[in-house]
Amino acid sequence: MLAPAGGPSPGPGPVIPRFGGGSSCVVHNGQFCASWFVDNFGSRFAPRLVEHIELTAIAVGVGMVIALAAALIAHRQGWFETPFSLLSAFLYTIPSLAFFELMVQVTGINRFTAEIALVSYTLLILFRNTLAGLRAVPPDALEAAQAMGLSRRQMLLRVELPLALPPIMAGLRIATVTTISLATVAAYIGAGGLGEPIFDGIQTGFKTEFIAAGGLAIALALAADGLLVAAQRLLTPWARRRRA
Amino acid sequence: MVSGEGTQVAATRPAASAAQIAFQSVSKRYPGRGQAAVEDLSFEVPSGEICVLIGPSGCGKTTALKMVNRLIPMTGGDITIDGKSVNAIETSQLRRGVGYVFQQIGLFPHMTVQDNIGTVPRLLGWSKGRIRERALELLELVGLGEEDNLRRYPGEFSGGQQQRIGVARAMAVDPPIMLMDEPFGAIDPITRDRLQDDFLRLHREVRKTIIFVTHDIDEAIKMGDLIAIMRDGRLVQIDTPDNLLAAPADEFVAGFVGADRGLKRLRVWTLGDLDLDPLARSSDTLPSAPAGTSLRDALSLMLTAGASRVAVLGEDEAAAGSVSLEAIAAILGPQARAPGP
Repeated sequence: MLAPAGGPSPGPGPVIPRFGGGSSCVVHNGQFCASWFVDNFGSRFAPRLVEHIELTAIAVGVGMVIALAAALIAHRQGWFETPFSLLSAFLYTIPSLAFFELMVQVTGINRFTAEIALVSYTLLILFRNTLAGLRAVPPDALEAAQAMGLSRRQMLLRVELPLALPPIMAGLRIATVTTISLATVAAYIGAGGLGEPIFDGIQTGFKTEFIAAGGLAIALALAADGLLVAAQRLLTPWARRRRA
Repeated sequence: MVSGEGTQVAATRPAASAAQIAFQSVSKRYPGRGQAAVEDLSFEVPSGEICVLIGPSGCGKTTALKMVNRLIPMTGGDITIDGKSVNAIETSQLRRGVGYVFQQIGLFPHMTVQDNIGTVPRLLGWSKGRIRERALELLELVGLGEEDNLRRYPGEFSGGQQQRIGVARAMAVDPPIMLMDEPFGAIDPITRDRLQDDFLRLHREVRKTIIFVTHDIDEAIKMGDLIAIMRDGRLVQIDTPDNLLAAPADEFVAGFVGADRGLKRLRVWTLGDLDLDPLARSSDTLPSAPAGTSLRDALSLMLTAGASRVAVLGEDEAAAGSVSLEAIAAILGPQARAPGP
């Protein structure tokens, strides 16, 4: 049993004076006090949720830009694949808490530090999927494009990237879901997000708080995944239309 | 693939002037390889004609084709289009003026048919309306002229239909020259035969200069105004299909065109190419065929009907004269003459 942080602790079981709403659920620290969650959603959870979305969007966005650039280089210059794969795989293996702690010594306790770690974790999957997508573009489509007089840039923008989109989107989905999960740990170094109420709930022992925050993180992951699936269907209508 | 509407469509289009192509001692050597892929290749394709390049695998026919639009850079000699060296034309400009159709078709799976056909027009800044109009016009020309097809994706079509779309795309900006690399090679024999017929009909309308690579001698005889036979990177013989079959330059060509080259020649000739005998009174009982029928088909008709003559029908469907078995046999005899009007 976790000791309640700070406050007086009369009797057995945690007492949470700070959240001292009147309901008996809160007083007895029930599994999940829905009314307390509803009452406190706007003040305690909504801002953290927004922060969490920001943390994730920035991490995945920046990660995608870096991974795309690296994949394009590796696609043209084969030798680049191995070193970048090794680097991104190495970053991926570092335990997250250790990574955060390590980066704090370099860039301090802030959001930027958290983003560095989160971006690093997206690189492996985004790089591999993007490169695989570029390599899977049918060579006959490329030959046709070349024979039609498309420049390299036109081929990339009009043929290669659109055709590589399904594996890229698959990578984005995995990266987004794992980042949402990982970003909860970022609260440890003061980056905000849903990790804050989770840590808080763990420290105070107030179950409703960390269950609510964890549930929100899960819901966010599911929603983000659903949105990306919808985006993929919208962007690649051709992938579903086949001759019967 | 050319319907009545197609004819009208073609008539309203600005006629593209076909261009003459000349190979001048063209060669292609790959570093580190002893034998040249193409060596001292010289021939001309008159404007508006189909020249078939044929030969065994590795003879350099595809390499020769791809040097025209510089997909493969030549290492010696020159190729000119209407007298201008292809090396003097900017790459993308050169390629946009040369339609390219190949066996793998290479339609863009992520683009609708309209966007596939509109690829080059879009690069040239055509308006959406003009691209749509042109795409539909070309689809009509290749026998897929339904508006719904414009919005469909390549994956929704059969292989034969995809190759028709490929041909339409290659003609999007009405290039004077078309390069075709075994375009019907991956298509089943029945569909291939129809595509060949349709393409020949299309070609009679649009009259582009075409270099056509195949390894199928029957296809070469059917499609070519000229056939160039290659071996080990060199040109062995270039001639009309009839001359090639009648007088192969050497053993290699004779072997390549086949022991039945006499019968193959009969496919090149039509009943209308022969002097017609006047109709005898008893001609009602003869088998009959239109003047455009090949001698091969006419011969088959006679043999199956047990007749020694066939009545030739004129354009009005009335018998205009007749042709005898002996007249057909005489063509294959030693004193051959060329078919023609």
